[in-house]
Amino acid sequence: MALHFSISTVSRLPGLTVAGLLGPFQVLVRERDLLCLLVRRDIVGRTSGTLLGGAWMLAQPALQVLAFWFLLDFVLRIKTPGKVAFVDYFLTSMLPWLFISEVLTRSLSVMSEFSALYKRTVFPLKVLPLLPALVAGLIYLPVFAVVVGFLTGLQGAIKAVLILIALLVWLLPVGYLLAVFGCFVKDLRQIFPFLLNMMLYLTPIMYLPEMLPPEFQSLLSVNPFADAIAVIHGVLQSMPVTSGNVLRPMLCWVLLLAPTWVLFHRAEPHMREVL
Amino acid sequence: MTAVTLHNVSKTYRSYGHVWDALWEVVTKTRRHREWVALHPLTLEIFNGQVVGIIGTNGAGKSTLLKLIAGTLTPSSGEIRVNGQVAALLELGAGFHPDMSGRDNVYLGASVMGLPASQVDRLYDEIVAFAGLEGFMDQPVKTYSSGMYMRLAFAVATAVDPDVLILDETLSVGDGAFARKSFDRIIGYKTAGKTILFCSHNLYQVEAICNRVIWLDHGRMVMDGEPGRVTSAYAEFLKSISGEVLGADPPIASSSPTENSVARLTKIEVSVDGSVGYELRVQTGRTDLTVSIGFESDSALPPPSIGVTIVGSNGWAVTSASTANDGLILERQEDGSGEVRVTFPRLALLKGNYWVNVFLLCESGIHIYDRAEQVAQLRVVQKGLEQGVVTLPREWSFAKPRCDSPQARRRTNGLGPTRLPELRH
Repeated sequence: MALHFSISTVSRLPGLTVAGLLGPFQVLVRERDLLCLLVRRDIVGRTSGTLLGGAWMLAQPALQVLAFWFLLDFVLRIKTPGKVAFVDYFLTSMLPWLFISEVLTRSLSVMSEFSALYKRTVFPLKVLPLLPALVAGLIYLPVFAVVVGFLTGLQGAIKAVLILIALLVWLLPVGYLLAVFGCFVKDLRQIFPFLLNMMLYLTPIMYLPEMLPPEFQSLLSVNPFADAIAVIHGVLQSMPVTSGNVLRPMLCWVLLLAPTWVLFHRAEPHMREVL
Repeated sequence: MTAVTLHNVSKTYRSYGHVWDALWEVVTKTRRHREWVALHPLTLEIFNGQVVGIIGTNGAGKSTLLKLIAGTLTPSSGEIRVNGQVAALLELGAGFHPDMSGRDNVYLGASVMGLPASQVDRLYDEIVAFAGLEGFMDQPVKTYSSGMYMRLAFAVATAVDPDVLILDETLSVGDGAFARKSFDRIIGYKTAGKTILFCSHNLYQVEAICNRVIWLDHGRMVMDGEPGRVTSAYAEFLKSISGEVLGADPPIASSSPTENSVARLTKIEVSVDGSVGYELRVQTGRTDLTVSIGFESDSALPPPSIGVTIVGSNGWAVTSASTANDGLILERQEDGSGEVRVTFPRLALLKGNYWVNVFLLCESGIHIYDRAEQVAQLRVVQKGLEQGVVTLPREWSFAKPRCDSPQARRRTNGLGPTRLPELRH
């Protein structure tokens, strides 16, 4: 029985993986009007009533960047071995991390935030987990491109744009997963800032990978975010990248596509009717 | 052509001890819930242009069936196919985001119904004009009054010119002029040959508007067919269980018409044999009952109609009379006001207490503008021991006359000694 179950599951895996890969994009295309409306409203809503309006969307992360730069370069004057200045290293990884953190945090709460829209209606639920990624993308993409462009030139800026888009696609299955769990396990929202902080400390963003004590080095290889950050530095600052840095996050992503898509699909009626 | 097809559709509601049980069930597909059946497997075909009324007591599964067809509930088993665009007015305002502006909510609502933004652009002005909310569209809908909320929701839901319209307990939305406008729109769909599904406790409205009625009880279909047949069978059923389901056909609460009402009752006077009063003594078969009704109406609209019902102490209508049903068009002044009088000569009610209710309705006698209930109490007394609620004219005859006379029968109106020639021996 168990053997039959596992065989049938494995045989369905490729098809479901393709569904999990294409599904979000099909939703994106089919519900583009709805998504545009939700994204626009989100961005307008965040800054409505302020003097600078939409400019805050860019100013806010830009000010964060300035503050980091001031602290690290002017006040602390941190110098690290190697050809890349620490402040450059830090900014190149901190901005993607802020993007990741924004996507993950919002994914947890996005379903309850919009519950008025889908409870007792025919609202297409699969749209909602795309929203955090799209909004965060719009906020961080320009800042990241400008900062990297400033540090490495125009080619770097283009690479930065591509990196953030790739990161967005990479985060989609996790977004769907967290959307379901955030809906069912409310406690997760309480513990999540702590988990995110721990993940930040375990990811070489505020330090270089080689600064981590040798006994903790192995932790980096089980942290897909550390791999993703290593790839970003490799692409933008020609720092060393191992094949493991590329393969591990890719494998995580591929393996998550099917289960997260199926889980969301199965949870849909519950989210609409029970919770 | 079929508009809606249901094949063995059932709905079971689930309840979980804890939300973790729900998550565990989703992840592992192992059962962790208790369930109760709201709708047993049902197979049904609804054809284009049918106006289907769904009746039944509370908890019969009416709303569940409508929500399944509208797609807001997922069936536990079976298959539902709906051909064409569906608009549902099930829970008005569901699907609106309170923090978003009226404008955004129009686009959001229309987009959820499958309308591309370009088409919403074209329909937008009409939606706003229909809802009468010009000047409020940039405010968040949480600042709207419930009436404004409902008007916008109705305007959005019906703007798409749906093929199938699903209504829960409502043939109109809002009050006053908007109620009339929304009612006209719904009736317009009926006239245009759209499919309408409508559930209601109001058997009169169901019979007036539907051409097919489905009676559900405890999640099962009891009867499906011609409105008069099904509603009267259902009314019989209600009478038989009236002790259990008091309020299944709830008395309509008296409403005071609002300022912007398009028509209202201005005067009601009930009299027996010329004497006006509230508690009136009536003698079976001898007293004339007269109800005088004054009304005001919007002269731009067709003249309204008047309905009078006499209900027994158990709340059941004993009889009714309406100008719309009797084919009368009310005469009124230029300003839209008028007065009408209806007389029930030699009232044939038998002993008991009865109440008189008066309704002011639209010209077709379906949409209620105004109502006044229990405007008079009739205390009917009778001579003799006749049983029941009403005395009927009747003829007696003998199967085998005791004499050879072909006239061996006696005719009576039940109201006293006959004046017909005596039987000859």
